[in-house]
Amino acid sequence: MDSILSEKHRVVRRSVRRFSERELRPIAKEIDHEARFPWEVVEKMGRLGYFGIQVPKELGGADLDSLSYAIIIEEISRVCASLGLCVTVHNSVAVYPILAFGSEEQKAEWVPPLARGEKIGAFCLTEPNAGSDATGIESTAIKDGNSYVVNANKVFVTNGGVADTCLIFVQTNPGADRKEMSVVVAERGTTGFVVGDLEDLCGMRANPVSSIRLYDCRVPLKNLLGQEGQGLRIGLTALDTGRIGIAAQSAGIGQGALEEALGYARQRRQFGVPIEKHQAIQSMIAEMATLVDASKLMTYRAAALRDKGKPFSQESAMAKLFASEASSKITDMAVQIHGGYGYSKLYPVERYYRDARVTRIYEGTSEIHRMVIARGLMK
Amino acid sequence: MHIIVCIKSVIVKAPEAGMVRSHDSTELNPFDRPVLETALRIKEARGGITTALSMGPESSISVLSEARAMGLDRGVLACDPALAGSDTLATSTALAAAIDKLRPFDLVLFGTRTSDSDTGQVGPQAALLLGIPLVTQVHSIEYIDSGLYVERTVDGFIEKFELSFPAALTIHPASVQPRDIDLADIGPAFEKQDTKIWNLGDLELSPDQVGDAGSPTKVLSISKSKRHKRCEFIKGDTLEQADELIKRLAESGMIG
Ligand SMILES: Cc1cc2nc3c(=O)[nH]c(=O)nc-3n(C[C@H](O)[C@H](O)[C@H](O)COP(=O)(O)OP(=O)(O)OC[C@H]3O[C@@H](n4cnc5c(N)ncnc54)[C@H](O)[C@@H]3O)c2cc1C
Repeated sequence: MDSILSEKHRVVRRSVRRFSERELRPIAKEIDHEARFPWEVVEKMGRLGYFGIQVPKELGGADLDSLSYAIIIEEISRVCASLGLCVTVHNSVAVYPILAFGSEEQKAEWVPPLARGEKIGAFCLTEPNAGSDATGIESTAIKDGNSYVVNANKVFVTNGGVADTCLIFVQTNPGADRKEMSVVVAERGTTGFVVGDLEDLCGMRANPVSSIRLYDCRVPLKNLLGQEGQGLRIGLTALDTGRIGIAAQSAGIGQGALEEALGYARQRRQFGVPIEKHQAIQSMIAEMATLVDASKLMTYRAAALRDKGKPFSQESAMAKLFASEASSKITDMAVQIHGGYGYSKLYPVERYYRDARVTRIYEGTSEIHRMVIARGLMK
Repeated sequence: MHIIVCIKSVIVKAPEAGMVRSHDSTELNPFDRPVLETALRIKEARGGITTALSMGPESSISVLSEARAMGLDRGVLACDPALAGSDTLATSTALAAAIDKLRPFDLVLFGTRTSDSDTGQVGPQAALLLGIPLVTQVHSIEYIDSGLYVERTVDGFIEKFELSFPAALTIHPASVQPRDIDLADIGPAFEKQDTKIWNLGDLELSPDQVGDAGSPTKVLSISKSKRHKRCEFIKGDTLEQADELIKRLAESGMIG
């Protein structure tokens, strides 16, 4: 696979792999079990540029391309998907919209601490009554003097428990067209900003996914991102990019599970031979490797198109749909190859299996992706 | 202070037949990473400039770029078709010629070994050709006015040497933890290519000194060695099994 990548991209991969193996591999099981966010590693990642992957140098970022970004998310997720989630959401749906839609003052104020990982970003769209249908949001931001008074009930916020800078999707004109939503940036610590309990999740447990509520929270008018009514466009632009990240994450989970399965099939003996000699096991391994490969290729293509400044939204939707579904199949086969041990916490494949499952749900479910892709074809 | 670090692009996978070094089959020799770290620490403590030097085909530019991403100031590649097939002596000859051209220098650092050929000969041979003192397997360095105190551990003894510049060291791979590359430094290191490439003429070498012609060692063939593993179950009750196991281990010299 790497033979199609440039030397720069291969060095990106090796650097991230070395870091993930050394810093994340030893704790991945424990932080999943304890549902603990590993600040000690996150701080190191912040100093190494992981939280500003595509942010320009002058704003404190690493200024890399989308292909590097995909490789980085893939490599982190290969070892620890929860941290892959933290990094992809922060970069693609929190920092990137500020870069794309923020004013110069907003960028100068918010981006540098985010790019260095000193502050963590979050994207707060989903509400109890608005999931796939984002236009169903009920949160409001009503102008009052120099500020918006925001009332919001956001759920399933990735990084929610640790986020400082939150993009909150709101209606500024309740009763008007529901598509006319807006985005305000609210900072933790503002009066009325409340972080709810962590979600007790099936997978991605080391990510502090939680609810965030704003009660009559006063957010300065200057914290409006873009213009009023531009929210849907901001959200969709963010998600186009975010999908490359989720596709990369899925490919990384698949790669990690494949490696575990290969290692196990070599050492486990049944019927007098290593189980890798059994044709049924080989057939699963071949299937897994092919799915991983296809996932990576689709992801890299979407990223490369974005780097070339070409339209990539259809390709990133297809990559996300394919790679997320593939990662469920791959991790399922990895569990199967491990037999009973695969269903036990003794081996990491059960974690990969749980982590993979949600990639088909967040940043747009598979069903919604099929809708989007079909719509793109029937234009 | 001018520190030169010699690094190699190594083959990642064991060769099946005929060695070909290309972009996707090679990487920076892992034993060179601590050497680069050592050079950066000396520079941070004493100031100066660091040069990464490699001999190899053009694809080796990649490891020099990686060294620059890690923080080295510049890269130099000794590269010429006539260098192909060089053994350790011919390699040392080419490196010594390049180092000579990089004068003035204070320190030349090498790894102790490479992951794809593992002779450990290049550092010592190059130092000999340059006529400078050498200490191998160095694991700690202390700065003094006249040069360095360095330590190495051999046969259970710690040897401490005083060195004056210019000198050469091979650095023990476990002596320092190499730093992580800052993602922000990767782009510039690869995109702004200013690696110097020196051919045989630049190095003032003749074709018979290097490559196949200049190599007294001829590798006739390379094939995978087979490991013979045998599994045997020791019989008897637990006590008998333990006694038998200890006897066998003692007989084989694995325990004293
Ligand atoms: C771990 C985790 C992290 C998350 N992080 C974030 C985050 O950071 N920010 C954020 O805003 N949200 C986040 N989410 C929320 C996530 O994006 C939503 O869960 C997702 O968009 C689906 O919404 P829903 O859960 O309300 O499901 P629903 O929309 O209620 O969907 C239920 C089912 O109906 C299907 N369905 C819905 N509409 C249609 C239709 N028109 N046609 C066909 N099928 C349809 C769906 O595909 C699904 O199968 C996160 C969720 C999880 C689990």
